[in-house]
Amino acid sequence: MGAAVRFDYALILSRLPDILSALGVTIGVWIASLIGATAIGFGVAVARRFGPRPVDAVLLGYVELFRGTPFLVQLFLLYFGGPYAGLSLDALPAGLLALSVYGGAYFSEVFRAGFEAVPRGHVEAAECAGFSRGQIIRRILLPEMAVLVLPAGVNTAVSLLKDTAVLSVITVPELTLTVSALGTEFYAFVEALFLLALGYWGLVEIAAALGRIAEHRLARFRFSA
Amino acid sequence: MDGRDKPGHDVEDEAAALSLPRPLMTPLLFGLLVKAALYTVSISAISIAIGITLGLIVAAARASSTSLLSWPARVYVSFFRGVPLLVQLLLIYNLLPAIGINTPSVVAAISGLALCTSAYQAENLRGGFSSVPRGLLESAEMLGLTAWQQLVRIRAPIAFRLTLPAVVNEAILILKASSLVSVVGVVELTRMAQDLDTSLYKPIQLYSSAGLLYFLINRVVSSLGRLAERRMSWGRR
Amino acid sequence: MTSAISIRHVSKAFGQTEVLHGIDLEIPAGAATCVIGPSGSGKSTLLRCLAFLEEADSGVIEVFGDPLGFTEDASGRRARLPAAKVRAVRAGIGMVFQQFNLWPHMTALGNVSEALKQVRRLPRKEAEDRAMAQLRRIGLEARAGYYPSQLSGGQQQRVAIARALALEPKIMLFDEATASLDPELTGEVLNVMRDLAAEGMTMVIVTHEIGFAATVGKLIAFLDHGRVLLAGGPQQVFGKPRHPRIEQFLDTYLDRGAAMLV
Repeated sequence: MGAAVRFDYALILSRLPDILSALGVTIGVWIASLIGATAIGFGVAVARRFGPRPVDAVLLGYVELFRGTPFLVQLFLLYFGGPYAGLSLDALPAGLLALSVYGGAYFSEVFRAGFEAVPRGHVEAAECAGFSRGQIIRRILLPEMAVLVLPAGVNTAVSLLKDTAVLSVITVPELTLTVSALGTEFYAFVEALFLLALGYWGLVEIAAALGRIAEHRLARFRFSA
Repeated sequence: MDGRDKPGHDVEDEAAALSLPRPLMTPLLFGLLVKAALYTVSISAISIAIGITLGLIVAAARASSTSLLSWPARVYVSFFRGVPLLVQLLLIYNLLPAIGINTPSVVAAISGLALCTSAYQAENLRGGFSSVPRGLLESAEMLGLTAWQQLVRIRAPIAFRLTLPAVVNEAILILKASSLVSVVGVVELTRMAQDLDTSLYKPIQLYSSAGLLYFLINRVVSSLGRLAERRMSWGRR
Repeated sequence: MTSAISIRHVSKAFGQTEVLHGIDLEIPAGAATCVIGPSGSGKSTLLRCLAFLEEADSGVIEVFGDPLGFTEDASGRRARLPAAKVRAVRAGIGMVFQQFNLWPHMTALGNVSEALKQVRRLPRKEAEDRAMAQLRRIGLEARAGYYPSQLSGGQQQRVAIARALALEPKIMLFDEATASLDPELTGEVLNVMRDLAAEGMTMVIVTHEIGFAATVGKLIAFLDHGRVLLAGGPQQVFGKPRHPRIEQFLDTYLDRGAAMLV
């Protein structure tokens, strides 16, 4: 067992191509599931707010269930349980789907809060002026919401980035799986994991910084503090 | 229940269950899951307690005026919130033996959970402490309370009440996050479901049951949290 | 008449803004001094300097001869006094705030008895007995077990007064004590303050209630732009012929229908 913690950079760096491709998988999975999650989340939020009561109740169940249970269990259910229900997926697609559905539940709450944060008065003024439902959503709610949901949205997106690590458990070839495999191969577990931690730390800080820039850019569209 | 494991270890003891008539198998399996769920709750409770204590220390350091204390605290919070919990757990699980500390995997698991949550709790508590209105402390000062008395008698209780919703929220997050310690070999609820699955091939029933148990536990914690909030409402509503 | 508080050339600035310009004022003992003036004239800042919640940039404040916070020698050099000395001088001063500042997690009795327990180190029973006596004094002993959120604004402020009185201060400071109250509730608080003045408590009252100031105040200090424009008895300050600035100031009150001022 590594008695002295040495940093075998040379060994790790010799496998840089593998690491970079794993990084690509991580980022790719993140972006793809982010798109899926925001789409699902937005759809659910709209359906809950503007749809019939029963739909709201059913979707509430979805949101509560997927926010109230661990992601790992949801992943296992899909990947290992899926085939028994006729849904046989490979690791990567399964991971993408699970992450999107999980993220979707969280994003739906972000959007729901955004809808409610737009002052009723703005919507009422539009209704009085004769705007249609769709027009109100597109011309009033969405633009005003965009600024309000940004902080919470960025937070959720960054969480999703961290959750991609869980996909390593079902052998999706992303960063965690690849780098810990390198650690095993070179008998340098701790060093590899430490580098892995630093890597994620960096990614998360970059993502958070990008989010702050976006918030700053949109800040002038805020109507009040 | 020790964390050291062989996959399917507990299930071998229950091998006889396979030859039991079907109606009896389900309650037995569910009983195993419930037992594992209780283990999940204990691990989470310990991690939450340690996490809040650590979080208080880190929050105090963060709020300190000396940068020697506040700067490391900021780095600490940034690190433990920026690295995925799974990676943190793997790191601690491998780091401890590497520096000569040999403990059961559950100790590594609890350490990992506690460190991670302490960073989030530190942020929660920081917000709470700074939201205590200044006037309340000024009146305390005018009445002669020392800085320490102000902290303990006025600031802390009010800050705690302000941060209670966030603390309860974090507790629920830990309960869910504890499922990841299954990866470092602790036989809690998720791992139990996995182990049973490898022998019984009933993933849908097992993982659904596990999910349901997590859901129920979270519901109970939420209700307890709301109860605590009501008891600490000091006459409001 | 002895001076309870001696204020000598006190100045205070917040950043670039000078709020107090060399205030000289002698607060008499055993009577109520009312500090009035337009918003922004520095009234609250002056009061907070007397409480040492703000530190004056220059000048000396003496409470019954004891310097508060700073001493100044003959050549004008200031020396900061140790915190223990500040606490000792402050122990004789009680303060009532505009926002009441009752602690929300304690009952009325808890609020009033807290300092008795923590600072005077009285045993619980004795502290609570004394606290109840204070609550009885202001007529709120029935509400002793109520939390601040269950009390009206006027009741909260009266509890705040009881809380300050429990420590038996020699001087009571009031920072716009009724400004946050609904008009119907100001009366009950002003009555308590009136009674206190009648009992001979040394009080410094910053207030907008001109009628109250004119009838209760022995000394009226009119502050304008950080300076004491005029300080004297009610007749001196309000009696005609009036200083034009004071006339201007009172006009705004007549506009608001304060017919109590003659």
